[in-house]
Amino acid sequence: MTTPQRGLEQPIIAEGLERVFGSGERAVRAVDGVDLSVERGEIFGFLGPNGAGKSTTVRMLTTLLRPTGGTARVAGFDVVKESDAVRRSIGVALQDAAIDPLMTGAELLHLQAILYGLPRGEHTQRVGDLLERVGLSAAGDRRVGTYSGGMRRRLDLALALIHEPTVLFLDEPTTGLDPMSRMALWDEIRRLNDDGTTVLLTTQYLEEADQLADRVAIIDHGRIVSRGRPADLKAGVGAPTLFIVVDPAQVESASAVLTAFGELRPTAEGTLGVGLVDGAAGVSAVVRALDDAGVQVQNLELKAPSLDDVFAEATGHRLEGAS
Amino acid sequence: MSASTGLAVRSLRNIRRLPSAFLPALLMPVFQVVSFSGTYAGITSIPGFPTDRSVNWYLPMAVTMGASFAGLGTGFSMIRDLQTGFYDRIRMAPARRRDILLGPYLAAWTRAVIAVVLVTLVGFALGARPVGNPFAVFTLFIAGIGMATIGTGWGLGLAYRFRDMRAAAIMQLTLFLGLFLTDAQTPIDIMQGWLKSVATWNPLTRILHVARLGFVDGNGVSDLIIGIVVMAVLGSLAWFFALSGLRRLDD
Repeated sequence: MTTPQRGLEQPIIAEGLERVFGSGERAVRAVDGVDLSVERGEIFGFLGPNGAGKSTTVRMLTTLLRPTGGTARVAGFDVVKESDAVRRSIGVALQDAAIDPLMTGAELLHLQAILYGLPRGEHTQRVGDLLERVGLSAAGDRRVGTYSGGMRRRLDLALALIHEPTVLFLDEPTTGLDPMSRMALWDEIRRLNDDGTTVLLTTQYLEEADQLADRVAIIDHGRIVSRGRPADLKAGVGAPTLFIVVDPAQVESASAVLTAFGELRPTAEGTLGVGLVDGAAGVSAVVRALDDAGVQVQNLELKAPSLDDVFAEATGHRLEGAS
Repeated sequence: MSASTGLAVRSLRNIRRLPSAFLPALLMPVFQVVSFSGTYAGITSIPGFPTDRSVNWYLPMAVTMGASFAGLGTGFSMIRDLQTGFYDRIRMAPARRRDILLGPYLAAWTRAVIAVVLVTLVGFALGARPVGNPFAVFTLFIAGIGMATIGTGWGLGLAYRFRDMRAAAIMQLTLFLGLFLTDAQTPIDIMQGWLKSVATWNPLTRILHVARLGFVDGNGVSDLIIGIVVMAVLGSLAWFFALSGLRRLDD
């Protein structure tokens, strides 16, 4: 099936995208002026904690939810005015793979082929190819209710690919998967991208964004707080972070000592973090200074800048459930 | 195969795989025709009662009830699809919205035919017989399909708006009330007070008269025409109620 192609240099463009739920005093601004520009053939990571606005943004870009402000074009088509053309161009695997457990994998793919208007003569071949591609050939005739989480995710991906879309949206595709299944799915996403598919991937896993994405945008409270290539963003943070665990009663005095070595950084509760300008070479000096001040160090770890540091620097807090 | 046919096939296949979701809608009208025609057998002795067989009176009511609940059944299935998120997948397809809506209708009509056939067979086994009108069974089916159409649109429209089990309660309650506030139990002529007024003006009474055409005396071509107009109007309103609900899912 040939999907519509228009303006594909930037298959996903959003300008000032907004979504407000409710009205008046009870209004919730889930997405607050998001600007996005995804280049053709890239994997774009959309990173943020739960409730940051990632899924709401994806629902608007995939025509499931009408924006209350701003504009968005996907595959060159307006998501509101040309929603049918957008739907023909994109493949979507939503969070919590929503798959009818009473149907078999093959039946679901057949139904998807019908819904996307594939010529009837191609259904069987296409369904067989996709089941093979995601490693579900043997399970194709089993009801989805008997599938494991990883199998459901792979079937979800196959469903999104039925019409060979040029743009693929993957909303937290590996949430809840074991490490093996997660890596298998990463490989498949890379293969799809190698074949030329543009991928927008939302995730709350830092490692996933780091491993897969050419560029990332970090979203928090409905706003994009940082964007760029992961390496550039991390380099922008500069010094590595020294994480130190001390006795809770000594946190204040430890903080006073650490400020002399660099900028204090947001950390999880009970831990102190300082951007160590001298890197590993400066660790011993920090330990000595803490010792001189009578602070007992319980644990200490030096970490190179990560996307979590980028997030922390931009928002003042760390990513919930960051890995 | 079109999108609507594909969705209908899926819905019907799921009946086979989850029969517990369909059986109550099938057994309820069977129970009604058996119990009402037996319990209220004496109703035919009321002076001027339009038939001498109680089953002739209650069979059309059970058929319309069964058919309308076959329609509501698609509303229940829709709630499940909305709550599991499966319906997002269907909404993301580039198929026309009316085709997406037509799928559950096709499934509902098939369910309704199954219900109508079963209830009619049970009614005939209990002694129901057409009187005069050779098309009695046909008009019974017309009324059944009409009620299924109305029930489907009503059920889907509520499911799209509430998106949870609140819709199921409203669907059942309103349809029960709507059907029982007709002359389902007793002829309008022997009703009194507000019940008589409500039954007289209740449009579902007109559909019930189509179902009874050929099973009781007194109904004629004018009842058929009025009943068909009522079904067309209510069916259209229910369709637009469902279609607007489907579009509201984007909001």
